[in-house]
Amino acid sequence: MSVPAAEAPPAPASKRARFARGLRLGLPILLGYAPVGLTFGILARKSGFSAFQAIACSATALAGAGQFIALSVLSAGGGVPAVLMATAVVNLRYVLFSAALAQSLPREPRILKPVLAFTLTDETFAVNTTDARGCTLDVVSATGVGAIAWLGWVGGTALGALAAGAIVDPSRFGAEFAMPAMFTALLAGQIETRTHAAAAVIAAAVALASSALLSGSWGMIAGATLGAALAAWWLR
Amino acid sequence: MTTAREIWVVVAGMAAANFLLRFAPMSLVSRTRLPEPVQRWLSYVPVSVMASLVATEILRPGGTWLITMRNPYLLAAAPTALVFVKTRSFLGATLAGMVSFLAFRALLG
Repeated sequence: MSVPAAEAPPAPASKRARFARGLRLGLPILLGYAPVGLTFGILARKSGFSAFQAIACSATALAGAGQFIALSVLSAGGGVPAVLMATAVVNLRYVLFSAALAQSLPREPRILKPVLAFTLTDETFAVNTTDARGCTLDVVSATGVGAIAWLGWVGGTALGALAAGAIVDPSRFGAEFAMPAMFTALLAGQIETRTHAAAAVIAAAVALASSALLSGSWGMIAGATLGAALAAWWLR
Repeated sequence: MTTAREIWVVVAGMAAANFLLRFAPMSLVSRTRLPEPVQRWLSYVPVSVMASLVATEILRPGGTWLITMRNPYLLAAAPTALVFVKTRSFLGATLAGMVSFLAFRALLG
């Protein structure tokens, strides 16, 4: 993390060591995902999913808010097209993340690219872009980040789906602050220059103002696109 | 009532839709060199995303405004950032954040 930018391409460590490093980097994600995944597992069972269907959904979609919105659309009597539309709109920000992450991807190995895409979430994006720091991303380490995030989300879902009801309340351990805490740390790590700080302030203001008016993650999308645009083209 | 078959269709459709959203831009963009202004814009996307997420999660937890000094989310963000700046450890900062969140919530009732 604190390696100077010029040395950012990974030292010749073994693939196993790089993967293990990714697992360590992603550990806070597991902490944050497990309780939310657990909640999804419980709610999915209440919405008519079998335990196996709930786990399969988390394992193949890995879509956080996109999965919760699917449950609520289904419960409201929406058909399959409405569900798919809702999940796509909520997760439209992945398009932005995917394009941004592509900028720091090395040409090889190609084979890990779909794996990185599959495990792309708010949190893995944050950890991986922070790790790359505008240089080339270590894709093996990033695969480790994705693996542990997946484990937290699917493991939490399994726990909730199989033991629905007979579970302690995760908020007793401060679990609802796990995700905000990680984002706060990531934000602190991302602010490198005055322009970055300005982008953050603009993005936060736009996101807050628009999230009061817009639903889903549109506020966040508005904040992210506008904050980055003003910092990149107007302030520099 | 939703049938088991419909649920499987939803599960499969969600897997496909989410993968497409994540993979298509990556595979299209990395084959071409983007214009310099677009690259510059993308380089500020991560920090802007983080700021948007932090602001909404801390000042609008659960989707409602909570702009008061009795907001445990807002209060706990300060020690979280401090621990990260001092230690550069995401795990340490996350745990410190959760502990201080519990403490602030208990103190404020």
